[in-house]
Amino acid sequence: MKHFFLASILAGAMALPAFAADYKIIAPANPGGGWDQTARTLQTVMQSEGISGNVQVINVPGAGGTIGLAQFASQDKGNAGALIVGGYVMVGAILTNKSPVTLKDVTPIARLTGEYEAIVVPASSPFQTFGDLVEALKKDPGAVSWAGGSAGGTDHIAVGLIAKAAGVDPKKINYIAYSGGGEALAAILGAQVSAGISGYGEFESQVKAGTLRLLAVSSADRLEGIDAPTIKESGLDVVVENWRMVAAAPGLSDEQKAAVSADIEKLVKSAAWQEQLKTKGWQDTYLSGAAFDEQLAKDVSATEGVLKDIGLVE
Amino acid sequence: MSTFEFLLQGLAVAAQPMNLLYALIGVTLGTAVGVLPGIGPALTVALLLPVTYKLDPAGSLIMFAGIYYGGMYGGSTTSILLNTPGESASIVTALEGNKMARAGRGGPALATAAIGSFVAGLIATLALAFVAPFIVKVALVFGPREYFALMVLAFVTVSSAFGDSTLRGLTSLFVGLTLAIIGIDQLSGQARLSFGIPDLLDGIEVTTLAVAMFAIGETLYIAAQGDKGPDKVEAVKGSVWMNAADWARSWKPWLRGTAIGFPIGAMPAGGAEIGTFLSYAAEKRLTKHPEEFGNGAIEGVAGPEAANNASAAGTLVPLLTLGLPTTATAAIMLAGFQQYGLQPGPLLFATNPQLVWGLIASLLIANFMLLVLNLPLIGLWVKLLTIPKPWLYAGILLFATLGTIGANPSVFELGMLLAFGLLGYVMRIFGYPIAPVVVGLILGPLAEQQLRRALAISQGDLTTLVASPVAVVLLLIAAAALIVPLILRARGRGQVLSQLAASED
Amino acid sequence: MTDGNKPASATRRPDGAAFVIAVVLAAIAGVIFWDVSRLAGAAGYSQVGPTTVPHAIAYCLLGLAIWTAIEAWRGEFPARERQEVAPVVWIVGGLAAQMLLLKVAGFSISTGLLFALTAAGFGKRKLWITIPVGIVLSFVIWVIFSKLLQLSLPAGPLEHLFF
Repeated sequence: MKHFFLASILAGAMALPAFAADYKIIAPANPGGGWDQTARTLQTVMQSEGISGNVQVINVPGAGGTIGLAQFASQDKGNAGALIVGGYVMVGAILTNKSPVTLKDVTPIARLTGEYEAIVVPASSPFQTFGDLVEALKKDPGAVSWAGGSAGGTDHIAVGLIAKAAGVDPKKINYIAYSGGGEALAAILGAQVSAGISGYGEFESQVKAGTLRLLAVSSADRLEGIDAPTIKESGLDVVVENWRMVAAAPGLSDEQKAAVSADIEKLVKSAAWQEQLKTKGWQDTYLSGAAFDEQLAKDVSATEGVLKDIGLVE
Repeated sequence: MSTFEFLLQGLAVAAQPMNLLYALIGVTLGTAVGVLPGIGPALTVALLLPVTYKLDPAGSLIMFAGIYYGGMYGGSTTSILLNTPGESASIVTALEGNKMARAGRGGPALATAAIGSFVAGLIATLALAFVAPFIVKVALVFGPREYFALMVLAFVTVSSAFGDSTLRGLTSLFVGLTLAIIGIDQLSGQARLSFGIPDLLDGIEVTTLAVAMFAIGETLYIAAQGDKGPDKVEAVKGSVWMNAADWARSWKPWLRGTAIGFPIGAMPAGGAEIGTFLSYAAEKRLTKHPEEFGNGAIEGVAGPEAANNASAAGTLVPLLTLGLPTTATAAIMLAGFQQYGLQPGPLLFATNPQLVWGLIASLLIANFMLLVLNLPLIGLWVKLLTIPKPWLYAGILLFATLGTIGANPSVFELGMLLAFGLLGYVMRIFGYPIAPVVVGLILGPLAEQQLRRALAISQGDLTTLVASPVAVVLLLIAAAALIVPLILRARGRGQVLSQLAASED
Repeated sequence: MTDGNKPASATRRPDGAAFVIAVVLAAIAGVIFWDVSRLAGAAGYSQVGPTTVPHAIAYCLLGLAIWTAIEAWRGEFPARERQEVAPVVWIVGGLAAQMLLLKVAGFSISTGLLFALTAAGFGKRKLWITIPVGIVLSFVIWVIFSKLLQLSLPAGPLEHLFF
């Protein structure tokens, strides 16, 4: 009886700060990764801005987010209070893992943040420009080892696209997959590999300190505050953006979808979110509605093409 | 200001009464969540990080440090008392620690773990402060071939957990290695031994396997003894505190564990578990009481626990000096640091000394609070063992599954917990050792990946494996560790056998 | 693990159960060979591809299977304690119940059942007492970890009654 009494006091205390709808956010990854951080930042801002009184983050890790996605699509069908965080990596993982559940089975709401890929070499490397690196790649693809994230992930796809644009068989690239950004960075710093590729944020402080040389970034135009040419400038038509998005459950009515979209828009426009983007070094690439759907469809078909070229998808 | 003045200033801030209170709250919360089997420091810090946001920067940094150390330490308590490792780095602690607890020496086991953690944390944090830039240079020398050599050395040390039969030890190890194949092959992106089941694509979670094999397997085994087994564990035999002999046998392992754990933690692909394996093996080789190993040798708790904590501080070396998060915990800490306006990287010590030294001072204080919190609790913890068996084991299973559910609320994960629990039970019946299974699962993928990376970079040239002095030295140590005991055993076979017979009495 | 008080030599005859282990090990090796055979062996630039290590492990398992069979034949496995089946069934039943009920009944009820059935495995068979005790205990734990410490534990009807 005492426990129930205590519990009901606790319950009362916790019910007090109730504002609007409760949300639960699925982070389809282990704690610590980009999706987990995105989900937890959403949680913080939603609560501080009073968009939602009670936000819970649930980690459902596994297989590039496809496990979380599959669970979300089946268990939260029609639940307007459920969100899932995802991103470009999921597009590739759905294809390589032959996931039966795809992004078509959820309701994408908006792209939130994004990051461009950066290609770096150790300071001691003989490659001075991106052109030098591409020349070496053309001459002997095996001699150029690239350190980056998991096989079939954004980094791998970007290298495949670069090889293809340079007229090199993407199957021939010598790509060394690492599990975490940290491990790959160590291999690059220690000059264990020829070059490294990952999101710019991973390399930023090293580039500033001069221990890594930034050769190129994968954006369409030069980025503000980053002193490096784009891959496009060197004559290879490659643009890769590693974006993160938030999606709602399948089976929502139009009103429900509009309500979630409005909540997310309010969040993105808030000063607290902008502040978070700044401290975390994330680019604001907010895109919603039909424009986002179109972008998504384009990314899916391009990714499928290059994964076939690399040989990861039949 | 000089390095030392910065540190003193940081300590002065951290030692204010309010900040000490925050440290104590942080340590308590961290221990409370970290104690759950299957919930490691990464999830603990991720869950509790938002709590710190509400405080001023100094207070939140210190509470964060407390949570981190509390989460790290929490795992060893359950390892020792309940034979349920809270996280992969305290698996080795369970080997000797739980045997000690069974023999009524849970108090000294917990004490040597707590004090060893403190000593290791203290030395390693100071090392972090003064030699980090140097250590990190050494760590970067380690490429795939050096890591491969390190893994070979780690594999050799596994044999120290084989128990009395080489056949059964090797079989256990290969069961672990087989489980390690399951999932997506990191280097080629192909699924192996997954049979089209999506839940298997990420492989077997080490903590799930460890919790299942140790806690559930053990519970089933004890239950199946019926009334034959010992009725009740005697919680305290002798003193609850460490006696002079315990101190004498603990201090060297603490220092050795620190010396092994810190550099390995600092290596980007080292990992805390490897340090604990190596420390355990080293203590087993160096001890004056080899007969006690496997039956509750205090060195086997003191060394690995120190190594575990030292490597936690070691992880901060690449994180602070390079901005390199080498573990999931470190990745979350990175997010936390950014919250405090700390941008880890090569320039951090130069551009932001106050915050760095504030952090290091916070770590020292948190480490101290951990001791303050835990030493008085030891008496209480060991009382847990006096709970009658039905309630004790029901509670163990409750907490074991709570951790798994909290980390990943999936029916499949619970199914694996049950399946591996049964496997652990059957292996116990037939006298197979459990630890090598877990070790195989941890080391298998590391060794395979590093080998394949090394060969891919050299484009298939096998000589690359011995083309670096560091790799050669590590491989030679491994060879010596393998061959020397064989020779000794061949020479002194009779003695060893008589010793075994004596210890089994 | 070395509780065998009797010397193993007392029963030096072929050990049937140990033969089963040998067969299981060989079967695992077979499964590895079969599964790995459908992988693209593309090793890239390393001659050690995704299939090499699994093959090596499978061969070793075959070797261990043979070794186990020989020891089984010689009866060299340590003597085993007699196992009581009923407690194991109780506890496995508890774990299975928790697993199957977790999503439907929530954390407290399913874990309360696990608690009671485990206690039953150790001789406390008064389920009308142990089940409520287990559920209350689990509920308190649920409140502490889920509400105070923000761990995500599945909620069921009981939890929704209060929160």
